[in-house]
Amino acid sequence: MDIITLTTFLPLVGAVVLLLYSVLASRGDQEKLDNQYRWITLIATTVTFLVSLDIVRRFDASIAGTQLGQKRPWIGALGAYYFVGVDGISLWLVLLTTFLMPISVLASWHIVKRVREYMLFMLVLETGMIGVFVSFDMLLFYLFFEITLIPMYFLIGVWGADRRIYAAIKFVIYTVVGSLLMLVAIIAVYFYCGNTFDIVEITNRLASNPALIPGSVKFWLWMAFALAFFIKVPLFPFHTWLPDAHVEAPTAGSIILAGILLKIGTYGLMRFNLPFFPDVSQRLAPWVMTFAVIGIIYGALVAMVQPDMKKLVAYSSVSHLGFVVMGIFAFTETAMQGALYQMLAHGISTGALFLCVGIIYERRHTRLIEEFGGIGALMPQYSTMFLIISLSSLGLPLLNGFIGEFLILLGTFSSTVPHAKMFAVVGALGVILSAVYLLWMLQRVMFGEITNKENAELEDMDAREKWALVPLVVMAIVMGVAPMLFLRSSEKSVNSVKEAVAGKPAKVAVSR
Amino acid sequence: MQLENLNLNYWAITPEIITSVTGVLLMLVDAVQKRAERKANAIVSLIGLVLALVAVIGFRTPGSYFSGMVEIDQIRVFFSATILIVAIIAVLLASQFVRDEGLPPGEFFTLIMFATAGMLMLASAGDLVMVFLGLEIASITTYVMAGYRRYDLRANESSLKYFLLGSFATAFLLYGMALVYGATGTTNIQKIGQAIAADQVNYPALLLVGAAMMLVGFGFKIASAPFHLWTPDVYEGAPTIVTGFMSTGPKAAVFAAFLRVFVNGFNTTASPVGMELHSTWINTLAIIALITMTVGNVIAISQKNIKRMLAYSSIAHAGYALVGFVTGEYASVAFYMLAYSLMTVGAFAVIQLLARAGDQKVEIADYAGIGFEAPALTFSLSIFLLSLAGIPPTAGFMSKFFVFKTAWDSDYRLKWLVVAAVVNSIISIYYYIYPIVVMFFRPLAPGFVRPRVSLGATIALILTLLGTFYLGILPNRLMKAMGSGSGGAQSSQIGQTQVINR
Repeated sequence: MDIITLTTFLPLVGAVVLLLYSVLASRGDQEKLDNQYRWITLIATTVTFLVSLDIVRRFDASIAGTQLGQKRPWIGALGAYYFVGVDGISLWLVLLTTFLMPISVLASWHIVKRVREYMLFMLVLETGMIGVFVSFDMLLFYLFFEITLIPMYFLIGVWGADRRIYAAIKFVIYTVVGSLLMLVAIIAVYFYCGNTFDIVEITNRLASNPALIPGSVKFWLWMAFALAFFIKVPLFPFHTWLPDAHVEAPTAGSIILAGILLKIGTYGLMRFNLPFFPDVSQRLAPWVMTFAVIGIIYGALVAMVQPDMKKLVAYSSVSHLGFVVMGIFAFTETAMQGALYQMLAHGISTGALFLCVGIIYERRHTRLIEEFGGIGALMPQYSTMFLIISLSSLGLPLLNGFIGEFLILLGTFSSTVPHAKMFAVVGALGVILSAVYLLWMLQRVMFGEITNKENAELEDMDAREKWALVPLVVMAIVMGVAPMLFLRSSEKSVNSVKEAVAGKPAKVAVSR
Repeated sequence: MQLENLNLNYWAITPEIITSVTGVLLMLVDAVQKRAERKANAIVSLIGLVLALVAVIGFRTPGSYFSGMVEIDQIRVFFSATILIVAIIAVLLASQFVRDEGLPPGEFFTLIMFATAGMLMLASAGDLVMVFLGLEIASITTYVMAGYRRYDLRANESSLKYFLLGSFATAFLLYGMALVYGATGTTNIQKIGQAIAADQVNYPALLLVGAAMMLVGFGFKIASAPFHLWTPDVYEGAPTIVTGFMSTGPKAAVFAAFLRVFVNGFNTTASPVGMELHSTWINTLAIIALITMTVGNVIAISQKNIKRMLAYSSIAHAGYALVGFVTGEYASVAFYMLAYSLMTVGAFAVIQLLARAGDQKVEIADYAGIGFEAPALTFSLSIFLLSLAGIPPTAGFMSKFFVFKTAWDSDYRLKWLVVAAVVNSIISIYYYIYPIVVMFFRPLAPGFVRPRVSLGATIALILTLLGTFYLGILPNRLMKAMGSGSGGAQSSQIGQTQVINR
């Protein structure tokens, strides 16, 4: 068994172990059992993370194609393969997933309702998410893409807040509308490209012979893929499910949703839309960028006026993901590298922001900014971390957010896409706006006098919360100080996507 | 008819013989027993069905026996296996059903066996006479089963409605057969095809009208729109276990006969009349498929009763299967019917257990908040519903994907139908996840008592669940056995595992 398969299915093994354990040890003190379930899940996710570190160690940055995985027949009758691996684009997204999962488990320690089922859904979700990033067969990709849907639906619907039913259904309907149309596109691409689901193979065939798919069909196929991913990102105007889902989801659900699930959208754009349909992508790039920039500004403006901290962070995601989409459709290596970096940075920072909001919500059961004020004096450690994370999210140099946004803006400014300079300039406004809404929120929550008597007794973080938050803060700093550590591995792969869009078919070989 | 062409081969009808004999045996067992023994009946039925299944799987060489009355081919093997699996699951559930309802156990198992024998005949029919025979045996037993709870008005209504409309449909079918016989001079399906190909049709109009009437008859039996109106009432009123049985087994069996007559018989384009017939039924069925899917899915949204909802869902699924049907490739239909049968019978099994005796709790509102009270049942039901909705990694997804892929590749320009089917799937998501919302996300309604689940029911649920996942994740062996067309041959040549880079 290869390391990729191992990493993908370890969480599922953990789920089976958890289920068996719960069946065998069904008698006894419920509280004690629940605690054991939590530990089993924490151990399973941590082991998965440790195993995934080995992927980084063995990853060869000089290869643009897929590596470390395997390809074997899966459903021969349908022409589908079990084809997994990582390349420079998916490597760090896999790591982001395995890194955020133990933290999410720690963040859900306080969940007391149906702990066993909660943890099972978390583990199944992790397998689904890793699977999405490592699949290089379209059918396999689709399978994992949909598998992520159901656990998240339950996480929101069962463990969410008051309007959870509405949010859960909205989340499912939005995602499914996109994904089923993508399924049609997948079938169409299969037949146009000579009966194969192999993403690498299709990319190569389309690069050497773009006429495999007729021009008019290409547009619709591009649209079908793009719609699925735009909804997932979410790009303005498909973003309305996101604030609902975030606000209603439990803290860990929000961390996973913002940190990983949204990245599936941007990842899909880089994996399917750009290499498969370079000409359509180029033709539509100004339009996509327009919506991305609208999303950046709109998300930031709406975030600014939110009275609810979680909603504020949710809208900030819309704004930040706008940057990522802008960077992807700038078609320069700098911008695309920046986009990839911003995906990781956003995963870390926004995950941490949701965690911070969750920590204070657990204490006060409210997230309204006006309920707080001056808590910096009461919770010094917490406030420091919250501050660092907010600064990283708004793009302060030497923290992770800066690198991504800077590269995206730089790359977009030098892009050949029509009006790219204008988009870059307007997009840059988003950086300023993000400073406004985040700092303003910090000011109202942290600084000044303690205005609300109910806050007088607040305690600082306990050990569990520190264990969850500190790694994220450390990562934010590491990513801000040493970006080349990460960018080096993705360089080749990103370059090959860029070349594909530029119409210079750099044949991506499956190296053996 | 010449005697030497009879080609008697009793091995070719072993499954039918086994099930019929078991049925008779059950009646005898029931007669000599002092007190009705459910367990003995169930075990005898199970043994018979498993033996029949072994016999079906044992068919290796294709052939035509009893002067063309009985066929052994892949259609028969796969559809017979589906029917027997459905029957096995029905028997596993039946023992708890008859006890909980306080009904006489003997006849129920006998009826299942005879219905199964009829359906098997339908799946093996190589002749229109056999189609009719099988259909009648299967239908009449199912009419009785629908009204098995004879003190219950709803069940009586269901049974009577099923009987009247079913007979009506059979009459259509029979009239169609007569006309086709008049036009071609034979009732043998293969010979009908040959006669059309050789342009030896007496009155072409007779053939077309006959085929149209048969289409209506089959359309009734598989509950395709606009011939679906009987379905919701009948499915709602019948005991849940019977609903599960008759919405899967007979449907699969009729699909088998339908495939033989239309895809094998009316398949020739060698003569002008053949060409006209062929293109007419393809186009008609494509439109029927579209209407069936849409009607089923749209009306299902507004249903409050879960059995009615699944009735409309089963109409919609007949539509999806018809999408595969019009491509003329049996494999996607056979796979679809197997997957559909497993998840539908599984869903009805859970509904039966949750509803308890007399089908008291079958409104979706009754399910409020029971999600974590009986997790094994509710999670199973959720998986079946998600599978029906076509969410991977379940049988429902794989079968839909198989049908869509086959249709997309078809020569008959069916891409529009695939897009329509996908849009329909999107609509269907809403009503399939609604019961899940009610079960898991709503507060618990008072008065819920966890249902007792017998050993047989547990086994039935485990089997259907395993089947649902097996077909959803590793369908390769089965699809290969069906010898599915596109892509299969070439990809099997590249068989080796490649380990990439280290």
